[in-house]
Amino acid sequence: MKYALRTFLVAAACIAPLLAFPVNAKKAPESRADLLAIQSALLAAIPKAQAATVNIDLKQGSGSGVIVSPDGLVMTAAHVSSGVGVEVAVIMPDGTKLKAETLGLDSETDAALLRITEKLPDGKPFPTVEINKTGDTRLGDWVFSLGHSGGFNKDRGVVSRIGRLVRMAGSTIQTDGALIGGDSGGPLFDMDGRLIGIHSRVGKVVGDNMHVPVNVFMEQWDRMMNSEFIGQGPFAQKPEKGKGFLGVATKPAEGGIEVTKVGKDSPAERSLKEGDLLRTLNGEQLGSREKLQSILAELAAGDKLTFEITRDGKDETVTLKLGKR
Amino acid sequence: MAKMKRSPSSSASASLALAVTLALPASAQQSLETAFRTTGEAVTSAFEPQRQLIQKSSAVIYEGRKEIAYGTIIREDGYILTKASEIEGREKIAVRVDQDFFKEAHILMTDPRWDVALLKVDATDLTPVAFAPDSKLPRGIWVIVNGVTSRSNRRVMAGIISADAREIPPEGGAVLGVSLKEIAEGLLVEEVTTGSGAEQAGIKKGDILTAVAGELVIEMDALGKLLGEMKSGTEVKVTVLREGLAIELGIKLSARGELFREASRNDEMSGDFSRRRSGFPRIIQHDILGASATMGGPVLDLEGRTIGMNIARANRAETFAIPVEELRALAEGMLRQATESLTPTP
Repeated sequence: MKYALRTFLVAAACIAPLLAFPVNAKKAPESRADLLAIQSALLAAIPKAQAATVNIDLKQGSGSGVIVSPDGLVMTAAHVSSGVGVEVAVIMPDGTKLKAETLGLDSETDAALLRITEKLPDGKPFPTVEINKTGDTRLGDWVFSLGHSGGFNKDRGVVSRIGRLVRMAGSTIQTDGALIGGDSGGPLFDMDGRLIGIHSRVGKVVGDNMHVPVNVFMEQWDRMMNSEFIGQGPFAQKPEKGKGFLGVATKPAEGGIEVTKVGKDSPAERSLKEGDLLRTLNGEQLGSREKLQSILAELAAGDKLTFEITRDGKDETVTLKLGKR
Repeated sequence: MAKMKRSPSSSASASLALAVTLALPASAQQSLETAFRTTGEAVTSAFEPQRQLIQKSSAVIYEGRKEIAYGTIIREDGYILTKASEIEGREKIAVRVDQDFFKEAHILMTDPRWDVALLKVDATDLTPVAFAPDSKLPRGIWVIVNGVTSRSNRRVMAGIISADAREIPPEGGAVLGVSLKEIAEGLLVEEVTTGSGAEQAGIKKGDILTAVAGELVIEMDALGKLLGEMKSGTEVKVTVLREGLAIELGIKLSARGELFREASRNDEMSGDFSRRRSGFPRIIQHDILGASATMGGPVLDLEGRTIGMNIARANRAETFAIPVEELRALAEGMLRQATESLTPTP
């Protein structure tokens, strides 16, 4: 019995590599059996892939992304995440909305990572997909695209489309399926349901779709995990130093500067109040209003500010993020 | 990249546009030949059995020499379903089935809710489609439709089921297509929107609207509430005062989003989408992208069974089809009505 089982396992191990790409063995499907093989592969792969395909809700528009770790790491496009340390929301296919924060991005290839910062309501690990790191993707391979086309729609769910890999060129792979706005940042899979790319952009002709291959993500993975803004565009613009927006008016005061006015809807509104005495910013003494200006001149939108303040006679520490002007 | 405007077809938030770029320079060995692409001949030739069924059961509808829609053959003696809004208002329509050409096709009736018309041509031995038992199909199931047509041949395009079956509510709700002003006698028509149901019904500037669907409406709020419960595509009875006379008219309600269309960024990238693409009680969705003139034909599965009828190319990534359950009921209902009205009553 034991022997028989081992024989079977050995046999299975020999067959497995042959079965790995039955749908791509021929240059084109020739028979009903070939078409059924493609269909079976899709039916097996889509449910799991779909469960991990999320909508990324930005205040101005939305994109897609895919969860690749049980603790909520998401791969998406740089033009979706649009910056480092940006607070966004992620919507699971069932409509559960969770807080998330963007990590690093590569503005030259359109790759980005973000992390979901809230747990699922049932506390379970996030559904994930496997990244195909083997580099065995070939021209002509059958693929499928998922995404929240045109925005999140619970009744419709994630939209799936079939296609073939029609071009491979450096940091871009091209497929001939159908993509539209809202799919940006969504996942491209091989027929085993392994992630091979992230949707980036489309051509004028329907059926021209460009994706960032996963190897581009792998090359920049550590830097993106480290929340770096990589490159000079064109897929995301680095916030410029000195162009950040705080939104307070101040006057000189004993031991610091005093807030005289807080702008409505400004980044300061949630954390600072009229009458607060600002004593230090990011560890530096605020001896004058000019000192505040000179610190802010070295910072950009998205950078963290830590103030030591005195409010109603009590010392407090408040943190906030510099906004866009 | 550029952010886009709210898509009128979606109640969900606006979506980020994919940047439109020029294709990369082709490098021969790294580019797949056209024949082997998803819509290429090497691939579509694997669907030859389904193509033969489409050759016989998917009609091509013409105005003059121009293809305006496809059709689904539902009975051997010349009954064909198609997309109503693509053929309405045409001078004269002709139909090709397989290699036979019918110079004259009559529109027997239309169903505005589904945007379906029943056509009749003078034939005796057409091949009706075979309906599948149901359309409960998961994402990933192959679907096959008539893609391109020549005089003698139909060619297929294939794709997959893409999303959950669902209702597509009218874009922006139902409207009459008039601007109104409250006056003592009722609601004064100040303007009639071009292309609206009100214009088609003959509503004129200066008419005074007094009743809609049998209910008195002398306030805008009351009218808004009434219309809020109605669907675009349906006809509503209205009463207007014209030169002191009360006139009753039937107005086909338009979808606000289709009447006052603001092209979104996604629409701009979507090419030739269907003018009517919303307000369907239920649809199934696939990823085959034909032109708007390819709607109305049957959608087959690998078994060659009809799982639906194409009803709207919604955009660059989504096509809607009437599911077979509803399609079958529509076909039976319309056939019954058409044949009853042809039988002289004793």
